[in-house]
Amino acid sequence: MFLTRSEYDRGVNTFSPEGRLFQVEYAIEAIKLGSTAIGICTSEGVVLAVEKRITSPLMEPTTIEKIVEVEKHIACPVSGLMADSRTMVDRARLECQNHWFVYDEKMSVESVAQSVSNLAIRFGDSDEDGSAMSRPFGVAILFAGIDEKGPQLFHMDPSGTFVQFDAKAIGSGSEGAQQSLQEVYHKSMTLKEAINQVLTILKQVMEEKLNSFNVEVVTVTPEKKFHMFTKEEVEEALAQVVPLVKDDPLPSSSGSATKVK
Amino acid sequence: MEVLNSNFYGGKPTQLHFSPYEDNGGTVVAIAGKDFAIIGSDTRLSTGYSIESRNQTKLFQLSSKTVLGCTGCWCDALSLAHLMQARMQMYLHDHNKEMSSLAVGQMLSTVLYNRRFFPYYVSNILAGLDADGKGILHSYDPVGHCEKTYYVAGGSAGAFLQPLLDNQIGMKNQQNVERRPVSMERALNLVKDSFIAAAERDFYTGDGVHINIITKDGIREDRMVLRKD
Amino acid sequence: MDLKTEMKIPADFPFGSSSTASPSDYRQVAHTPITTGTSVIGIKFDKGVMLASDMLGSYGSLAKFRMIERLVEVNKQIVIGAGGDYADFQFLRDIIKQKVTDETCLDDGFMLKPRSLHSWVTRFLYNRRNRFDPLWTNFVVAGMQDGEPFLGVVDKLGKAYENECVGTGLGNHIAIPYLRYALDKKPNLTEQEAREAIVKSLQSLFYRDARAFDKYQLATITADGVKIENGLTLETDWSMADLSSGAD
Repeated sequence: MFLTRSEYDRGVNTFSPEGRLFQVEYAIEAIKLGSTAIGICTSEGVVLAVEKRITSPLMEPTTIEKIVEVEKHIACPVSGLMADSRTMVDRARLECQNHWFVYDEKMSVESVAQSVSNLAIRFGDSDEDGSAMSRPFGVAILFAGIDEKGPQLFHMDPSGTFVQFDAKAIGSGSEGAQQSLQEVYHKSMTLKEAINQVLTILKQVMEEKLNSFNVEVVTVTPEKKFHMFTKEEVEEALAQVVPLVKDDPLPSSSGSATKVK
Repeated sequence: MEVLNSNFYGGKPTQLHFSPYEDNGGTVVAIAGKDFAIIGSDTRLSTGYSIESRNQTKLFQLSSKTVLGCTGCWCDALSLAHLMQARMQMYLHDHNKEMSSLAVGQMLSTVLYNRRFFPYYVSNILAGLDADGKGILHSYDPVGHCEKTYYVAGGSAGAFLQPLLDNQIGMKNQQNVERRPVSMERALNLVKDSFIAAAERDFYTGDGVHINIITKDGIREDRMVLRKD
Repeated sequence: MDLKTEMKIPADFPFGSSSTASPSDYRQVAHTPITTGTSVIGIKFDKGVMLASDMLGSYGSLAKFRMIERLVEVNKQIVIGAGGDYADFQFLRDIIKQKVTDETCLDDGFMLKPRSLHSWVTRFLYNRRNRFDPLWTNFVVAGMQDGEPFLGVVDKLGKAYENECVGTGLGNHIAIPYLRYALDKKPNLTEQEAREAIVKSLQSLFYRDARAFDKYQLATITADGVKIENGLTLETDWSMADLSSGAD
């Protein structure tokens, strides 16, 4: 696609003669650079796992926050430009609280996705003092939560398009991960099975070795709502991962992957 | 006419005082039971000693299981009810579902409070069914204070009828009485008797009663005539 | 809750209505009607609606303008009538006429309907009341909608309702009892019976309303369209006056 680049890729308000908005397409490219995030929606709840890129041993891993709580019943894993994602998450939180204030009820996951989408498509807008937003958000985001329709998972890209998924991967490893998800997903998946699968797939697509420092795991269930796994819970979950991988030559007793410092 | 009175030639300019509010009377009574809610209003619209209309309901259907009753300043009641209907429609488009009675209850509170410093001079009673199909009522003051109840009277004969309901449904301060849930038949009769009683003593209440009976099967209407004097 | 308690408005309120009004504040002047019309009355009959008002524009107690039109044809199915400040009526009438002109230019076969106009006038007047700058008028909208007669009123607050018979101003006190009596006796009046009830009401108004007049307009709206009769004169009989002590 870069060969077709032309003067039509400067502004977000101009279509190319072929009817494309290059800046939006570039933003969609940009999110393919982000860290991988995977979500699976089961009948018992939604499971989310995101890789944290620890680029330096001097970095404090706990300060990287890739899955945020929007409301007690909604979690959002993000991938791409983290600074952009803050704006979107802020809006999601604001809309949720406003909805609760006006209607005294929890906002549905789809409505939250819709309201953030309304923000995301405003990239071409301008106000009195120049541009309000000059480019699309470089963020891929999942909306995972529980509402009156049960567990829900939505995906939104920089164009503001949002679609519901049973299982979705975003970020750099998303292509391979999505393929794997398609193979393993089935409607009767249990939450435990899904936790295993997201970690297994994440492990496959990650460059670094998966351990309890470089992954963030969240479940959203009717009972516990938003629940981020503690270090111990992550370790416990990782210990289960290896045995489930059918083609893994390692014997189940070794559990080596979990014991990395 | 006032321009030619004595003050016009000497003192300060005079004017007809403009009050944005008016009391147009009217009463609303509502009773909720375990699988129904009944709300009724009289159909008299008055201004001072004049009867403007003998056939003006004060009930506004907001959804398939929510009805709003508004009395007080009629221009505010009309505007508020239509604003609520518009907001219900917007919610339907935004969230792809009908608003629940509880959500309407909270929204009405915020809508009223938004006009805290120029209030809708309206006494509101909202009748509906909750998620389990149980009857639920909300009653409001003009600036949005909201109370969930199971029986309530509002409007010009509200203060006159509330003690009657306290006695007949609430069984307040009575010893050795059997407290059992009110049946739909008894609730309907109580609503009708309340209006007959109110029309006897409150001249802002009369002419007719318009009743909505809300159940999971929908909203049924009932009407009754009242004394017209 | 005592609704009669008047709202307390601070002296520095931008649209103030405090009693110490300064003459430089034009809004204060707008709060006093100058040239006024009195009642408008209307009644439904089997095939349409009838509306009537006298043609006097009063200037205080002076009967100043003796041939003004207070009923106006809006289109082929609507007539509006107004009492209260005549300038405010003209102001709103001109806006409505412009709406109708704009709509006619579209030539799409659609016409403003009476219920829509009634609602629009309600919103307009309610909006002005909210700005503490009311139009000091009572409006009556009469017409035919979907083959049914329509008769509705709106006052200066935006208080609106429909009825089988209406009367504004003193008409509410003097004419309405006659009109309601006529309808109670026979719910489906003929055009002739409606006319008799209207004329009788106008006569009573002329006898007792000091701001009423014997020249009047009478509008009839049916499925065939609008007919406004202008400059009619009430037949009156003052011979009774001699028998009433204090009338001389």
